[in-house]
Amino acid sequence: MPEALERLKVLDLTHHVAGPYCAKLLADFGADVTKVERPESGDPARNMGPFAGDDPHPHKSLSFLYLNTNKRSVTLNLKSGEGRSILKRLASGADVVVENFRPRTLPGLGLGYDELSKDNPALVMVSISNFGQTGPYRDYEGSDIVEYALGGLQYIFGSNDREPLKHAYNQAQYKAGANAASAALIAFFHSMMTGEGQWVDVSIQESMASGLRDATSAYTYTGAVRWRQPKASGEIPRSPVRTSDGYVVPITFGGAGWNDTVEFLESDELADERFATAESRVRNAAELDRVIAETFAGREKFDLFYRANRRRGLIYGVVQEPSEVHGNPQYDHRRYFREVDHSVAGRADYPGPPFNMEGTPWRVKSAAPTLGQHNEEVYRGELGISRGELARLAEAGVV
Amino acid sequence: MVRGALSGVRIVEFGQLIAIPFATKLLADMGAEVIRVESYTRLELYRLLGFYDNDTSGEWWNRSVHFYEQNRNKQSLTLDLTKPEGRSALLELVSVSDVFAENFTPRVIKNFGLEYEDLRKVRPDIIMVSSTGYGHTGPWSEFGAIGFGTEAASGLSSVTGYRGGPPAIPEIPYSDFTAGEHTAFAIMAALVHRAATGRGQFIDISQTQTLSATVPEALMDYAFNGRTPARAGNRDDNYQLQGTYPCTGNDNWISITIRSDSEWVSLCEVLGRGEWMEDARFVDSAARSRNHDLLDELIADCTRNRDSMELQSALQAVGAPAGAALDGKEMLFNEHLAERGFYEVVEHPADLGMPPLPYPSRPWKFSGTPGTIRSAAPKLGEHNRAILVEALGMSEERFGALEESGVIGTRPTTAKAPPQPTNEMLKQQGLIVRSEPDFKEQVWGRFG
Repeated sequence: MPEALERLKVLDLTHHVAGPYCAKLLADFGADVTKVERPESGDPARNMGPFAGDDPHPHKSLSFLYLNTNKRSVTLNLKSGEGRSILKRLASGADVVVENFRPRTLPGLGLGYDELSKDNPALVMVSISNFGQTGPYRDYEGSDIVEYALGGLQYIFGSNDREPLKHAYNQAQYKAGANAASAALIAFFHSMMTGEGQWVDVSIQESMASGLRDATSAYTYTGAVRWRQPKASGEIPRSPVRTSDGYVVPITFGGAGWNDTVEFLESDELADERFATAESRVRNAAELDRVIAETFAGREKFDLFYRANRRRGLIYGVVQEPSEVHGNPQYDHRRYFREVDHSVAGRADYPGPPFNMEGTPWRVKSAAPTLGQHNEEVYRGELGISRGELARLAEAGVV
Repeated sequence: MVRGALSGVRIVEFGQLIAIPFATKLLADMGAEVIRVESYTRLELYRLLGFYDNDTSGEWWNRSVHFYEQNRNKQSLTLDLTKPEGRSALLELVSVSDVFAENFTPRVIKNFGLEYEDLRKVRPDIIMVSSTGYGHTGPWSEFGAIGFGTEAASGLSSVTGYRGGPPAIPEIPYSDFTAGEHTAFAIMAALVHRAATGRGQFIDISQTQTLSATVPEALMDYAFNGRTPARAGNRDDNYQLQGTYPCTGNDNWISITIRSDSEWVSLCEVLGRGEWMEDARFVDSAARSRNHDLLDELIADCTRNRDSMELQSALQAVGAPAGAALDGKEMLFNEHLAERGFYEVVEHPADLGMPPLPYPSRPWKFSGTPGTIRSAAPKLGEHNRAILVEALGMSEERFGALEESGVIGTRPTTAKAPPQPTNEMLKQQGLIVRSEPDFKEQVWGRFG
């Protein structure tokens, strides 16, 4: 089968999560991605937990294993002059360079867009950073929770009688990585058509701020400032509600009203006139909250999920534990999880295609590379550096 | 005018809510021509919610905040697809387009006769994108879903939430945006492939899969180690310390991450608690992680008397990651986003009584072909004539017949706006923290 991006050559100067996810999306759909890592320690994500077998080994970080499928790894010391000139040679043969250093780092090394594109005007360079390449926060330190805070999502996440919350792990980084991958291809498409490359500035903060639905416009439209969830709003909550064996999200949609919910749940208590109108439900919100909790507590989550989804307007969601995601019949049918065998970490099921492209399927051709695994292949095979010269560069700590 | 990166790409969108409209909005910003096909007899939900200044007079269906958020730079063509003339007009449009993007259930698309095979007959290299909650095939394919449901199914919700509490989902349909981001990428990958080979294809987006793709930490911890991680609130095992702490004023918070010993020293100094550096309970990173609960209390005691923005500056000045939890208004007025021009002001059609308003722009800045907002979201059926007569070359006679038979229209069949909750009611429900009566002056003062 052909691959969508098989003619795309990507130089991946990224580390941690956001940049590597961008390059992974490109690699998993066929791009030739060469990842440049620091000699000796490599990408710091190699030290991020959790680890395979709980063994904190640089080839066993689950994040690193996931984020670097289908890539080749070379080591290169950008602090050395020879390292920088090798990097320029690699960039001159690339269609896209992706990097997520701090904004001052590459220009400070003489490796900004202008330098890298000097002999390659069609080059697209995508720079991902916490707060973008300009502005008063440019040099601020970021972390996922700081991006939730300054990206506006944290304030509206969680309970309004508690501190704001964030999603587990690295969602802000993944969001920016996905956006950067789109940006890379938009710019590459333009470059294919016109021969003009360009520099793209992707901000993690702005990735968050772009996906807040109406959090800012609620203010510009009516002066309302959105908040976190109340304990009892007087409505059927669109958040997880406890069942006997887990949680469901009891969503109603598309014209389905209160009566559809009452009828579906077959609850005399919910049918009570205290809850008959929107106003009376708000007035009796605390009581409603208690009745809802009791009604759901005796039910089973998948039973509710399947039965609701056979009715019009009740599109209940079901909270799945990781084990249930792995055993899910829908995912099984679609062959979602894909087994990957890594020479050190071993064999296991990884999350598979984020979407299915029928003409050019997603696939894993190779597991995440070990540090510098492709030095010979890239430096000797592609740049034509001799065996003796490569040994000298290794000795000098350049590769 | 600067040429957009995607000038010349035409996308027909048969979308609703966020998952598809958000994706095509990102591409429209970069120069793609996006034509939204919609029904005027059954308005999509986002034309029915959240009107400017709660004004339900006149053309209320052209005043919804959600619609304007997701549909700028697009054109609107209303077609009744249940009528054969409506379907054939759509297929004529598809025959001169590059991409057809939709987010209905497979059954709806099948009933309209708009499956990939149908479109290929009129445009052999069409790229068709179907975005559904759980995927176009399989036992869950016909289940309707919005973000709250797909987030629950993805695995993300089960590991998110306060420690010891239930799973948590934010107040917005988060995974619709994740799906949209991946959809924009998918469309671009298909366009690149088509530019190289001349071949179109069918793309099947499972919104749940796109979100599972961003939670490998939990899904692979289970696969490799058989473990189901506990909900950790705001903490992260990869860092010594991480949390969100109260500041002065009403409901102000700061989030802080401490990743290294030097950041720990910075924190102690900025909070004026040098003695913590000598404290045996916090002697190294392992000790601090062990005593995280205690540290949370002690840190909160210090932050409670600090202004969140002042404390953010003080911590950042010494290299510690910290950020105030900005609310919607604070985002709009934030100095950094202002300097970068993140919110862009858009004018609305003159007769709607809406002033120019700022909207979030996009997650990227291009040096050569910057994104632009050229027009607000379209009014219902605003471009019927421009598309059918001027672009497709339909005769005036046939256009008139389509109007006559109700295949196209510009006014909904429901005359009255659905009732909207007032801000007072939302406040009483606890869904908004406050409502500012002088918001128009404030927004105008900053963006006018």
